[in-house]
Amino acid sequence: MIEHLAPQLFNGLVLGAFYAIVALGLSLIMNLTGTINMAHGSFMTLAGYLAYTLVQRGVPFWFVLIAAPVITVLVGVFVERGLVRPLYKREPFYSLLMTFGLSLIAEEIFRLIWGSNGVPFSPPAALAGAASLGFMSFPIFRIFIAAVLIVAIVALALFLTRTRFGLRLRAAVQDTEMIAALGTNTQVLYAVNFGLGIFLAGIAGVLAAGMLGLSPTSGNALLMPAFVTVIIGGMGSLFGSIVGGMLIGIAISMTTLFIPAASEVSMYVLMAIVLLVRPRGLFGEEGIFG
Amino acid sequence: MARTVLSRRSFVTLAGAGTAAAFGIPAYLPRIGEAADTIKIGLLEPYTGVYAGPGENETNGFQMAVDAWNKRGGAMGRKVELVKEDEQNDPGVAAQKARKLVNQDKVVALVGTVSSAVSLSVAGVSNSLNTLFIDSGGHTDDVTGKSCHWNVFRTCHSTWMETHATGYSLQKRFGKKWFFITPDYAYGHALESGFKDVLAHIGGTVVGNELTPLGTTDFSSYLTKIDAAKPDLVLVFVQGDDYTNCLKQMNQFGLLKKYPVGGPQVELEPLYGLPPEARGGYWGVEWYYKSEKTLGKNNKLAHAFVADYMKRFNKPPTARSCFGYVTADRLINAMAETKSTESVKIAHALENTRFTSIFNGSAYYRKEDHQLMWPMWVAKIRPNGTPGDKDDLFDVVDINAPEAIEQTVAQKEAVCKLGYP
Repeated sequence: MIEHLAPQLFNGLVLGAFYAIVALGLSLIMNLTGTINMAHGSFMTLAGYLAYTLVQRGVPFWFVLIAAPVITVLVGVFVERGLVRPLYKREPFYSLLMTFGLSLIAEEIFRLIWGSNGVPFSPPAALAGAASLGFMSFPIFRIFIAAVLIVAIVALALFLTRTRFGLRLRAAVQDTEMIAALGTNTQVLYAVNFGLGIFLAGIAGVLAAGMLGLSPTSGNALLMPAFVTVIIGGMGSLFGSIVGGMLIGIAISMTTLFIPAASEVSMYVLMAIVLLVRPRGLFGEEGIFG
Repeated sequence: MARTVLSRRSFVTLAGAGTAAAFGIPAYLPRIGEAADTIKIGLLEPYTGVYAGPGENETNGFQMAVDAWNKRGGAMGRKVELVKEDEQNDPGVAAQKARKLVNQDKVVALVGTVSSAVSLSVAGVSNSLNTLFIDSGGHTDDVTGKSCHWNVFRTCHSTWMETHATGYSLQKRFGKKWFFITPDYAYGHALESGFKDVLAHIGGTVVGNELTPLGTTDFSSYLTKIDAAKPDLVLVFVQGDDYTNCLKQMNQFGLLKKYPVGGPQVELEPLYGLPPEARGGYWGVEWYYKSEKTLGKNNKLAHAFVADYMKRFNKPPTARSCFGYVTADRLINAMAETKSTESVKIAHALENTRFTSIFNGSAYYRKEDHQLMWPMWVAKIRPNGTPGDKDDLFDVVDINAPEAIEQTVAQKEAVCKLGYP
């Protein structure tokens, strides 16, 4: 058992990093507008399929890693303007139902375009294979995922704290009406924020396609861990999403060590414990949803 | 321009009638003529979710057989029609839809399903409705074992057949220390006990058995245990998208280079979703479109089926397509022979009747447990296909006779009592 501990812990942290990227996007969108984006997984799948299609046509992976999420953002902004925005003033329940419906429609569209079977998508040769870490051999692609997370977090933190736009965004989360009264165009703010969330989903989607299989339902399978991550980390806290992701990753891999069949349940148990002790989540603000 | 203005009253009437039509009220009214004209068969398949790919291919096979019969004039001079329902890979939904197909659509028999859990659910419901059910694609032993019923037949191989066909084949090539990756539901557990039986016969051991929840996306925390167990062979039981995820990650962890890999069953559907570098090993194959070992050298029917299928659906048929074809073909044949749609009569007609079809050799639904007794094959994977056909991934190496891999009649009679009404 002991010899498994270090590999499992390390693997759990990297897995957690991946959940954190997904949860960050989800959290951004939820914080500003209260939209519970059930279609987040579909945007991930979309980015994965776009990346697959582009790579098939000979576009290099490094370019695709940015291009596929950007195209996904265009779709995302269109969805925000047409479908999500009319529901901002209503209860979060409405946008939850709408995005849930959207994810079902998206699944069928993926099936129509790319077929019911999964498609093969693998990371480029430079990221394929495993590296020896001394205590275990570990896929290079997963180490790359962890690196991308660190870059994404630093970039996001700089954007939110060092740019005028980022400051406005954070201020809007505190008090949207005041920000609007001071002359900021909140519609643009919402759209950019939604786009940013979708961009993170897109990056996660391309990485997921490289690490896991890519099929019409593959993104949806990652949605539940992301929601649990946000709840454990606490609504309203981006830092919480990162910590939540790590905790889930460790919980899943540690449970696998002792009771493999319970690995999936472990994150829900963790969520239940956190909610019992601290209903707003580890770093969450009180009363985000009224 | 003259325009008819719709009065409020007539609008309400129209809307009411429209709603009634939409909610199927006319379905309760007798439709004269129609019932006598067509024979309806209820087809339950997962058209959404992880098993949508196999579900679609089974459906294509069913459709091929039905169309072939209709072209010949149908059964008893009546056309045959498939009424399709999405069982969503959910035993509860499947039970509900099975009842709907029998009670509302008046189908004469039920066919289909991919997941073992769904097969068991439909088997139970169909038994309570006294309706024939042929399980085309759910593999768990119980369907023709512990939970067998007089009205339930199965076309695809049982898990016992899969494990014994591949177990003995793999043991000849690799050692006796095996590591299992098992999906944590009826199908996985059945495979586990089958392989343990093989190991008991050959004197081998299980050095690891990881139970993974159905729909697992990340297998890394299970895979990190393989190195410490040092197995001679890693047996992967998961299917569908789980199979793709698992093998892709095994490759990324460098495990495919270190340990031989194989399993009781591999299907083309998830294999196509894998990059070539993650394809490999020896796997049980239930039918294959491009091997003389599976199709037989001079089997015109089989070769015509493959050609027609590729022309019609623009892709090669899979084992699932074969299950669908054989199931529908046998069912309609039994109705034509008995000149009846009564479940008991059809069931008796199916029992122990030898037939040849789109595979090598002859087969029969065994009287004692209603399992289709047909050969099972083992193939080595060609990662990149063959020159000119990138889809040609199987190199079929072994063929196993059904009687050598399925439990004996005596073993089956100990657990299965059919109990005809």
